[in-house]
Amino acid sequence: MKAKHVKKLVYHIIVAGFAVLLLYPVIWLVMSSFKESELIFATADSLIPNPFVLSNYAQGWEGFGNYGFGTFIFNTAVFVVLVLIGHLISCSLIAFGFARLKFRGRAFWFAIMIMTLMLPYEVVMIPQYIIFAQLDWLNSLKPLVVPAYFGHPFFIFLLVQFIRTIPRELDEAAIIDGCNTFGIYYRIILPLITPALATTAIFTFYWTWDNLLGPVLYLNSPSKYTVSMALNMFLSNETVSNWGAMFAMSVVSLIPVFIIFFIFQRYVVEGISTSGLKG
Amino acid sequence: MKKSLFVLLGIMMTLWLAACSGDDSSEDATSDVDDDATEDTADDAATSDGDVTLRIAWWGEQTRNDYTLEVIELFEENNPGITLEPEYASWDDYWQKLAPQAAANELPDIIAMDLSYLSQYANNNQLADLTPFFDNQIDLTHISEDIVNGGAVEEGVYGFNIGVNAVGLHYNQELLKEVGIDEIPADWTWDDYIEMSNNAVDNDVYFDTGFQPDVFFNFYLRQHGQRLYAEDGSGLGYDDDQLFVDFFTIVRDQVEKEASPTPDYLAQLAGPEEDPTVKGEGIGVFQWSNQFVGLEQISDYEFEIAPMPGPNAEDGLFLKPSMFFSISENSEQKEAAAQFIDFFVNDLEANKLILGERGVPVNSEINEALLDEVSDSQAKVFEYIAWAEENSTEMGAPDPAGAGEIISALDNLSEQVSYGEISPEDAAEHFRNQAEGILGN
Amino acid sequence: MQTHMKQNLWGYIFIGPFIIGFLAFTIIPIIASFYFSFTSYDLFSSPEWVGFDNFRKMFTDDPRYLHSLKITFIYVFAGVPLRLIFALVVAMILNTASRAVGLYRTLYYLPSLIGGSVAVAIMWRNIFGDEGIVNIALMTMGIDPVRWFGNPTAALWMLIFLSVWQFGSSMLIFLAGLKSIPQSYYEAASVDGAGFFQKFFTITIPMLSPVILFNAIMQTIAAFMTFVPAFIISKGTGGPLDGTLLYSLYLFMQGFEFFHMGYASAMAWVMLIIIAILTSLIFFSSRFWVHYESEGGR
Repeated sequence: MKAKHVKKLVYHIIVAGFAVLLLYPVIWLVMSSFKESELIFATADSLIPNPFVLSNYAQGWEGFGNYGFGTFIFNTAVFVVLVLIGHLISCSLIAFGFARLKFRGRAFWFAIMIMTLMLPYEVVMIPQYIIFAQLDWLNSLKPLVVPAYFGHPFFIFLLVQFIRTIPRELDEAAIIDGCNTFGIYYRIILPLITPALATTAIFTFYWTWDNLLGPVLYLNSPSKYTVSMALNMFLSNETVSNWGAMFAMSVVSLIPVFIIFFIFQRYVVEGISTSGLKG
Repeated sequence: MKKSLFVLLGIMMTLWLAACSGDDSSEDATSDVDDDATEDTADDAATSDGDVTLRIAWWGEQTRNDYTLEVIELFEENNPGITLEPEYASWDDYWQKLAPQAAANELPDIIAMDLSYLSQYANNNQLADLTPFFDNQIDLTHISEDIVNGGAVEEGVYGFNIGVNAVGLHYNQELLKEVGIDEIPADWTWDDYIEMSNNAVDNDVYFDTGFQPDVFFNFYLRQHGQRLYAEDGSGLGYDDDQLFVDFFTIVRDQVEKEASPTPDYLAQLAGPEEDPTVKGEGIGVFQWSNQFVGLEQISDYEFEIAPMPGPNAEDGLFLKPSMFFSISENSEQKEAAAQFIDFFVNDLEANKLILGERGVPVNSEINEALLDEVSDSQAKVFEYIAWAEENSTEMGAPDPAGAGEIISALDNLSEQVSYGEISPEDAAEHFRNQAEGILGN
Repeated sequence: MQTHMKQNLWGYIFIGPFIIGFLAFTIIPIIASFYFSFTSYDLFSSPEWVGFDNFRKMFTDDPRYLHSLKITFIYVFAGVPLRLIFALVVAMILNTASRAVGLYRTLYYLPSLIGGSVAVAIMWRNIFGDEGIVNIALMTMGIDPVRWFGNPTAALWMLIFLSVWQFGSSMLIFLAGLKSIPQSYYEAASVDGAGFFQKFFTITIPMLSPVILFNAIMQTIAAFMTFVPAFIISKGTGGPLDGTLLYSLYLFMQGFEFFHMGYASAMAWVMLIIIAILTSLIFFSSRFWVHYESEGGR
């Protein structure tokens, strides 16, 4: 009994200690955001802000011109949610098709899909931009959101790999129960891949939140800008950068991502136990 | 029962997915509304009662974005019927955006342009020639010809110069005295520079923080009657590689005797805030005049501006356009765009908002009127530019297309020289080969 | 025959969205970039056909390209295994269901969340700076401090550390995979008297192998494409002395700073071939070590 407690304590000390080590840069970022902007570099080796100020947050929150930072957060949130819905629906459907259904051309399309991941975006960017320009989709979220409803190779592949770990006997049992193909997808597979769907949700959220290039290319009006674009505007290549405000708003924009992760990580690890699958 | 429900769901999904590829989906209503509205007004504008909407793009941070929006407001008040839609982004993001817009013929009407990109965009018919607007929409009464020609590419003027810069040494007078130098005379030479550097080294401080290769090598070449690029952009503008060797030998020797920081030390710095000169561990910085205000702002020390070392500093020095406004070739509202440029450059109230933040104003009258308005640091810059105007020569042709690649090659070689990886002689030869290769084809 | 048709139909209904999206948004740009790779194209004027010149130049007349290829290989082959092993170890440590562990998981994931922002570059400069925590640690161990940003080799390793530090995404996928292994397998093995390592090699690794395959392939692809960290750490230059000039960064410079989009496209297609060869090797090897429960363990 005692040995068990000691073991637990040692575990927590090691895990927590290592977390602090990994998190030192993050802690530094948060602490610096409470320092006066001019002191951030002068006192970089000290974690404690002296004096402790909130002015960076006030200044950063004001945003630019007529748009407060809240606008940028709202825009980003809309963007993220629309992409998230798209990914969850389309990727799970497509992945089920690739992983469970036997049809002619499956290997071909799968190879094509993986290939699209291997070409750097920089070289397809211009032609794609022209396509969206022709569709008259510029300066709107459409070029950024609509493709999400046609699947994303990374998540499709991820879900395929998870579906393939699920025994086929379950499908057969469902067929005997009278399910059709869609039923197998919806009733059997979807609940069982909750951890992978949660992973998809987390990644999508964070990648979209962090996406810089897409918004830079397709959003022109400042009223539509996202957080990632706004953060860059605290920096200047010619005059003085407002590091304080940039750090402060970086911290603010981390909070939603942090919360989403904290909520969804439970499904990553608990999905299977709640689904009631036993051997 | 359940079965049919699933089928229905499947069909709905397919339909809905198909609907997404149509041109109007309701999912981004927030962005759609004003989007379509602006397009409508823009289309109407060309035909009907003279209401015009222009897109204007620039790079900048908080301060610049805020005052530029105020200038735009002021302009709209004075010019009812013209609406400007601002599009601003950080420097990196801005150029990232502009390239595909150019490729898709979607450039904004008014574009902030930098000297290093001017030729690239002008040569490819992306920008409109501004000469037809001179003395019509754009009043040139108080703007010198040299300044206007700063935006000349071949036959036309493709960028309107909205501010000027000049290089100089921004130095800490107090520290200079501490190392035993009373002042930097206006007619100092490279030999004086080396001498003064020795003083600094003896007192364990840096004299400067090195030279941005393309800027200062070009200055050095001009002092010797040559220039970095040939006037027609077909190759390098100097024949004698000895000049390359001489300049980069100075650079290397300065690093070796620790009058300038080593390149690996400089690479460690997180930002300008950690610069030795800013922290009082170096006497000065060789840089553009628009960086002076920022230097004083982040440093606890006070700075003065000294001209560049001679001989023939006058031939070396030129007024560099700090920024241009260009009008895109695909703009349907070029006159209105030119009207805005005129307002930006010639309106006193507008310039009271701008306060020389984009470089010292090009309009000489405004320049004088602003002297009382600007900060002490800014006043020093104005003063230096006024002096430089008398003591400089014409800039000549702008950087040719391909300059970006040449600058990158030069930076690379200069870095290797400072690291002691190659000799200035070898670097000179490599540079010539690479540059001729780039410009030759 | 009829069931065959039906199966095909169902298959295409499910993967239909992908095919539509691919045809609508992706295939034309891909073909265009393939065409550009045989042209001289500056983004503004129309492309000019140059045949294989871009490819020839790459391998015979561009030392910077070959250098960039070399350091990218180092980055990939050092970074990916380190990152995967690290992620797997942490995932296994955190694979318990207590409440505190949820917090740990979030904390361990945090470094990956700050991702590509410029704040990371500043943080990183500070930590690896002359008086930064890394050099202080080195000095207390009696090792000379390193100019991480000033020495090309050190700078590359710093990029590798940065990628290992952001191990969160691989960790999360491993965690999800670990959780998909039915607990009953372990219980049965315990009854048989299996120890930790025996369970690890006979249950965890085989059951996790599809996910390991996924991570190995995706991380390899992602590592080859790494752009943002190199760009922000070197302030866009790839310095010092091209030490952090990763393939994608050089490609970006060629395409958007030097306006050689044709050359950049050619570089992209060479990279695609390299990655495709590596991925097929991994796929091919997977027959021997990846275990799919749905395919009866083959």
